[in-house]
Amino acid sequence: MTQQQATETLTFSLNNNEVTVPKGWTVMQAAAREGIKIPHFCWHPGLSIAGVCRFCMVKVEGRPKLEIACNLIATPGMQVTTETEEVKAAHKWALEFHLINHPLDCPICDQAGECSLQDYYMSVGKYKSEMTLKKVLKPKALDVGGDLVLDTERCILCSRCVRFEKEVTKTGALGIFDRGDRAIISIYDDKKISHNYTTNLVDICPVGAFTSKDFRFRKRVWFLKDIDTTCPGCSTGCQVKLYSKPEERRYYRIKPRFSETNGHWMCDEGRHLYAHMNPEKRQRTAFTPKQDNERGSKEQRVRADIRDALAFLKLKMAKYAPSDIALLVSSQLTNEEYKKTFAYFVTFLGVKKVFAWRDSAENIEAFDGLLNRGDKNPNTKGHAASLEAVGLPPVVSKSGFADAMASGAKFFIAIAPENTQGFVSSFDDQLKQLSAAGDVALFTSQAEHAKNPAFDLVVPLKCFGEKSGTFLNAQNMESKLAEKPFFPLNDQVKDLVEITALLQEN
Amino acid sequence: MSVKKVALPPVDKNVLSQAWGFVSTIMTGMRLTLTIFFKQLLKLEKSETLEWPEAPATYGDRFKGRHFLTRREDGQVRCTACYLCATACPAECIHIEAGQHPSNEIEKFPVRFEIDILRCVFCGMCEEACPVDAIRLGPEFAMVGGPGENWVYTKDYLAARPELNSGISSIKSENNKHSTIDHEPTAKERKTELHFGAGH
Repeated sequence: MTQQQATETLTFSLNNNEVTVPKGWTVMQAAAREGIKIPHFCWHPGLSIAGVCRFCMVKVEGRPKLEIACNLIATPGMQVTTETEEVKAAHKWALEFHLINHPLDCPICDQAGECSLQDYYMSVGKYKSEMTLKKVLKPKALDVGGDLVLDTERCILCSRCVRFEKEVTKTGALGIFDRGDRAIISIYDDKKISHNYTTNLVDICPVGAFTSKDFRFRKRVWFLKDIDTTCPGCSTGCQVKLYSKPEERRYYRIKPRFSETNGHWMCDEGRHLYAHMNPEKRQRTAFTPKQDNERGSKEQRVRADIRDALAFLKLKMAKYAPSDIALLVSSQLTNEEYKKTFAYFVTFLGVKKVFAWRDSAENIEAFDGLLNRGDKNPNTKGHAASLEAVGLPPVVSKSGFADAMASGAKFFIAIAPENTQGFVSSFDDQLKQLSAAGDVALFTSQAEHAKNPAFDLVVPLKCFGEKSGTFLNAQNMESKLAEKPFFPLNDQVKDLVEITALLQEN
Repeated sequence: MSVKKVALPPVDKNVLSQAWGFVSTIMTGMRLTLTIFFKQLLKLEKSETLEWPEAPATYGDRFKGRHFLTRREDGQVRCTACYLCATACPAECIHIEAGQHPSNEIEKFPVRFEIDILRCVFCGMCEEACPVDAIRLGPEFAMVGGPGENWVYTKDYLAARPELNSGISSIKSENNKHSTIDHEPTAKERKTELHFGAGH
């Protein structure tokens, strides 16, 4: 909507309150803004208007029949009511029709707990069905490609998924086939959906017709808690909700939430970025080199408290001149962490060899036109800005790792990225090179990275779900991690703000 | 509220009459006790006392004892792993892990279904919450075991322990998913099929 159109407004009455909206808005949009809930299935703020579910009925004064709010353009002086007896009866009977062939298999349906059909059944439903005929049976649990499982029985034919395919990804892989009560959603001729945005169909499906293979049967949604955070998958920085069961310290899924940056959507790649935070993947404790008098395994390192490991790190740093120390930092830390880290290592200790831990093969400029960017580090811009703030050249070079290896440093303080998707193939090679390069203090959140016993000084880090802070995305917009993050895995994992504070105090 | 004062009943000052009062009541009681004792000793009357555990003790079908999982007609567990019992459980003693069933008809089934019986408070909420009549509390009340006993009941134990007599079928049939109970439970579907009572 252009500026000029946006300034033209009109006023109409909604539930006896005067509301002023831009010209061209529908009653549904106005109600959504005012916080008035009109039951609906097919309307979605990110998609075009279809008006097929006939559920969002409202009463307009002076018109003989009820109208659908989603396709009712507001006109000046219009008087709309959303909660009359007539409207309630309409909702009740519309829902009865939607439920005629719905299998009611909520016990095995993943949507149960966040299903519009369930919610509306409880709020506006007609509890006793008038239907005596048998339900029409349709194909269930079909693999339609991507991350999707399709259950055509549960579908209420709202056509949100068809419109998403047509309008957002422009792939048009889905259609409605057959007619009447045998109508089903399906793909064309076994041509499976294959793009990077499939799980959005699971989000927009108001019922459980689309469920996600990744989340299928893993947890009932009412056990999950969510926080508002930022996706760390690429430099777009989509605003997301992260779902976890905090008692288990396990993470289950990521869903987008509306923002200017990402609209209503996010990519499938970002959705999988919770798995690396689960306990079995994590570096749980610090490692320090084994002393001669210590017993333990044959390895040259022992598990230690993080405070001991940091004290050891300070001893080690004292052995080297600042010019022999190299700081190798990934572009996945928050601005706050960069500030504290550089303040300590660069300004306070005088380490001047600071490199970005990146992959030289990564395609930073790549962009799929929708959301996904080739730069798989969420805070490249913030990294550069923080370097500039301590007087270093604000360049986050792709060849940072190779430069560090060639810099002639003898002691490497390496802060590893938590998400190595952007490292096309070479991350393991880089770890190998690093282990052979000299003395290394490895900061990482992933047990996988510290697997090699040659890393005898390892400090465990927090992951993004456990941190607060800000990222600076590719469009120079600040995006926040959760203000109240999830409880960390244990008391050993720390973020770099806490680690630098510990380093400074003892 | 105000307190209403009432006078105490007059006290009998005669000691002998007081004593006779006590003795006569004791004798009335003893007469009853001894009558029943000798009647039961001479088998003139049936004793209500059970010699448990040698003799079996029974409770009604509605007793909330040790859980069991009902089965489908083909013998598989009826449970669909919907977690409603685990959600309703106030003691948080039910642990379920759901999985994809090879048959699309069933779709979801419990890979693991465990009840930590030491945490269970036998409230019966799981039974009430279950939408498919998969979990029930049976009339077995005696759960005895030493330190080596496994107090976490597994799916196999809950569905097919020997006492269950090759399993109890659910009163909700799979073919007619959404019907309510349309028939009286058969003997195979009732809890009374269970052997119970002899605590070992």
